[in-house]
Amino acid sequence: MHISKKQKYILAGIILVEIIIGIFFIKIDMSAIAEPPAKLKHIFGFAIPMNGINISTILNTWLIMVVLILSSWKITRHLTPVPSRLQVIAEQYVSAFDKLCEEVLGSGKGRKYMPMVSTLFIFILVANSIGAIPSFWHIFSGFPSWLKFDEPTKDLNTTLGFGLLCFLVAHISGIYYKGFKKYLSEYFEPMIEIGRLRIPNLFMGMLNIVGEFGKTISHSFRLFGNMLGSAIIILVISNLTKYIVMPVFLNAFFGLFIGAIQAFVFAMLALVYVSVMINE
Amino acid sequence: MIEDALLVKELVKAAAVLGAGICMGFGAIGPGIGEGFAAGKACEGVAREPENANLITRTMLIGQAVSESTGIYSLVIALLMLFVI
Repeated sequence: MHISKKQKYILAGIILVEIIIGIFFIKIDMSAIAEPPAKLKHIFGFAIPMNGINISTILNTWLIMVVLILSSWKITRHLTPVPSRLQVIAEQYVSAFDKLCEEVLGSGKGRKYMPMVSTLFIFILVANSIGAIPSFWHIFSGFPSWLKFDEPTKDLNTTLGFGLLCFLVAHISGIYYKGFKKYLSEYFEPMIEIGRLRIPNLFMGMLNIVGEFGKTISHSFRLFGNMLGSAIIILVISNLTKYIVMPVFLNAFFGLFIGAIQAFVFAMLALVYVSVMINE
Repeated sequence: MIEDALLVKELVKAAAVLGAGICMGFGAIGPGIGEGFAAGKACEGVAREPENANLITRTMLIGQAVSESTGIYSLVIALLMLFVI
């Protein structure tokens, strides 16, 4: 790519302006790492149980939901045989996930789980990369801390909710496809055989039941830990460099790249847990 | 008496910060080696069968994500030690 002399001057000017703004105007606020999230504890005079709700998580979750629902509604209203650009993207997305689910779960079953997996993926993808959008909170000190684009997946409540959702879906579909007796007996295998008698192996049963909960916990903590770690690294290095140039690359790597990988991994693991449960 | 309590509090805080550093340092060793090993094997696989590159990359990512979880646990423990204690 050829860069002309004029463009070089413009680039240098932008960087100079950034440095001046960074040195003189940007507040240095490392305490944002340690400060607890803003919480809404009372609503219309009633106390909210469980120590209040996290305002920024709720706001950003609803924002992402509204954006996703409206955009998919807009795209799918006027479907044409010769697709528009947005329609091509949507069709590619749906058919890619359809193929993936059919590969993993087998034809017929895959299409039932495709909506859940693809929705999880796109929600987590947008949620992970929403932190890259700059907001006034970064520049001016007067703004409340919840009024910024913050990853909802940085909050354990969101990811644990997704993890429990996948847990419930996997186990209920396991019972649905295999029958309750077979589903239950799989925990106690291998059975102890004495003659013709088959006694359930209680030791393996305990291990398997603990393992199931461990799966859910590691599933949700993986996303949470990755996004929280990324957010902390972005905040620390951005503050050290006074928000000059670096935040772009940090957000591109940690927000978009790692976020996309983690979203894909989360969706794939949900799919794999379902397939472990429903396949013989 | 009050000075002793303050000293104990400071000592606990110092120990927690030190522990967080050690926890993160040792916790990063295992996942690093494991993920590198998985990526290397996936490279060999792709070099041997380039037509299966998509499947190999997908499987590698899932395996790496699963083996990464111990590192994530140590990160969560380190954050707990830094901010909660």
